[in-house]
This record gives sequence, structure tokens and C-alpha cells, in this order.
Amino acid sequence: MRHVLRLTAALLSAITLSASAARMTVSSHVERGLDLSRYRTFDWGPADALPTGDPRLDRNPFFKDHVQGAVEKGLFARGLRLPATGSPDLLIHYHAHISQRLDVNHIDRVYGYCSQSVCPPDIVRYEAGTLVLDIVDAQTNRVIWRGWAQNSVGNTLENREVMARTIDQAVERMLLRLPSPTRLD
Amino acid sequence: MYSPRIRLTGFLTLAVVLTGCASTEVRSYVSRGADLHSHRTYDWAPVEARSTGDPRLDNNPFFQQRVRAAVDDQLASRGFEKTASPHFLVHYHASVTQDIQISPNDHGVACEECRPEVYDEGTLLIDIVDVRTGLLAWRGWAKGSIDGVIDNQAWMEKRIDEAVARIMRELPRGL
Repeated sequence: MRHVLRLTAALLSAITLSASAARMTVSSHVERGLDLSRYRTFDWGPADALPTGDPRLDRNPFFKDHVQGAVEKGLFARGLRLPATGSPDLLIHYHAHISQRLDVNHIDRVYGYCSQSVCPPDIVRYEAGTLVLDIVDAQTNRVIWRGWAQNSVGNTLENREVMARTIDQAVERMLLRLPSPTRLD
Repeated sequence: MYSPRIRLTGFLTLAVVLTGCASTEVRSYVSRGADLHSHRTYDWAPVEARSTGDPRLDNNPFFQQRVRAAVDDQLASRGFEKTASPHFLVHYHASVTQDIQISPNDHGVACEECRPEVYDEGTLLIDIVDVRTGLLAWRGWAKGSIDGVIDNQAWMEKRIDEAVARIMRELPRGL
């Protein structure tokens, strides 16, 4: 009986851990009173010089193409286009970053799966990936909106399918946070 | 079995530790010989390119503008004037690190309140540099848990305003 309990506890905590580590958080900052309907066209701005913190992402064409594709798709859906001629109204750029982080598992205690004497602190190390997307007013060169998604990227980097899915989800959820257009027409 | 005394100690320690990571700690120092009293002009030093340690804050204009506006307000309320040929240059630096706090258990007894906590710690540091000597005249900083703060713009702005106000209260009197 005790073995069963222990196993259940171990399984449960494993599930919870992967669940909590896999939970993507998405948020954004925005210029006060931003009216996106003023803008019609966008294009890609120059990449920034900040390091990604991981060689697997530096100059990774698959990653770059997929992020750009997902962002373009999302912006097209909002009625923005690439400029046919001339300069764009908006410049887009993104930054990816990976860092080592720690997380604490409280599940054993919360559900009483361990007695007071056998509850060790359960600290896990994981790789946290952040994708930051900036939208810049091309005329003023000011960032008018920044969105980001953060996620545990344990095996994402080794698996293109998982990476593609994660990027799609991240970009889609980020762009949902764009202020809705207040069209007058 | 726990004695009530150990329980109480455990509880108090936990309370101290929890407040420790929840509250913001503010400190400052004045450089020896710095003259912060006879001049009241300043300008902003160029933005430094150092990373904050958090990609959400790196090159984040919403963060940068809020900090600058808060410092400008605080300095203006102390009679400081922003000019092109100032006596002082002001610059700030923000950094974020993950920290872990484990409730101490100095009796060697397992206790249910002893839990490790992982949180993001943010530091905001403001420097006032004497333009003529190039030396740091005053430095003030605030340090505290900022878990969840960056993800909420309104909350972040509030925390910046509070932190800057508390840091600037540390400026020597009469300034």
C-alpha cells in the first residue's frame, strides 16, 4: 500500500511538474492610447545584437523562418500587409532568449503524499525560453508594442515539430494581445 | 513531536523570511566629499546597453520611460532642474535575477512550514555622478521580489513609481 502511494505521488508530481513547466505565459506592454488602425504596412527591421543565450538558436534558419512566417500570418490576419513599394509604416523585430531557471514542486506536501519527515525540497532546473516581439513605428522609430511568450523549452530545441507548434502558439497568443483596431469606417 | 516553542520559532522564522522576500529593501550611500548641496542641475546620461538579465526588460522603452519620468518628478520636487550643461549626470540600471529562499530549519527537525520558494528579484539602482570630477556622488537602490510584475504593465508602473520615490527619499536632506 505504501509503495502504491509512493508511486502515485511520484507520478502525480511528475505530471504536475511537466504541466507547470510546460505552461506558457504570454503578456505585453503597449503605448498608451495606441491606435493600430493608423498603420497599414509592416516589414522586418534589422535584428538586434543581443545574445540569445543559446548556440542552438543563434543563426538558426529554421527558427527564424518559422517565427517570421507565424508573425506575418498573424499580422496579415489583422489586415496589415507587406509594402508593395516604398517604406513600411511598421517595423517588426523579435528576440529569442534562453536561460536556466529553477522551479519548486509543492505537490507532495499539498496533497499529503509524504509525511513530514520524508518531504524533501523538490527543486527542478529547467530551460526557460522567451520570445519577444517588438512592433516599431517606422516613422518615429519608437517601440509601440512589445509582446512576449515564455515557456519551458526542454526538448523543444531538438524537435522541429514541437518547435514549430510552440512558436505558432506563442505568436498567436501574443498577437491576440494587440489592442483591437478602433476603425471609424 | 514538536514542542510549542520550536513551533513558534519556526513560525516566526518563516514570517521573517516571507516578509524578507516580499518587501522591498532600499539603501543608498553618499560618496565622501561629494557636494550634493550647492548645485541643482542634472541631465540623463546616455542609456547603457548592459543587459538587465531579463529579455522582457532589455531595450524596453515602456520600462525605461517610466523610470525616467519617475526620477524626473522626484528630482523636480527637490528643486532640481534638467539642463543641457548640468552639474550632475543621472543614470540608472535595472537587473533581474532568480533567487531561492529556503526557510531555515535550525533544529534539524522537518517542519511542514519549511518550504523553498523561488522568485524573481529585481534591483533598480540610481546613480548621480558629478560631471566635473566624473565621480559617483550618490547611489541609491531598491531590491525586492518582482514575481509577476513585468507581466502586468499597470503593476510594473506602480512598482517603478514606488521604488523610485523610496530611493529618492534617501537623498541627503536639504537636497
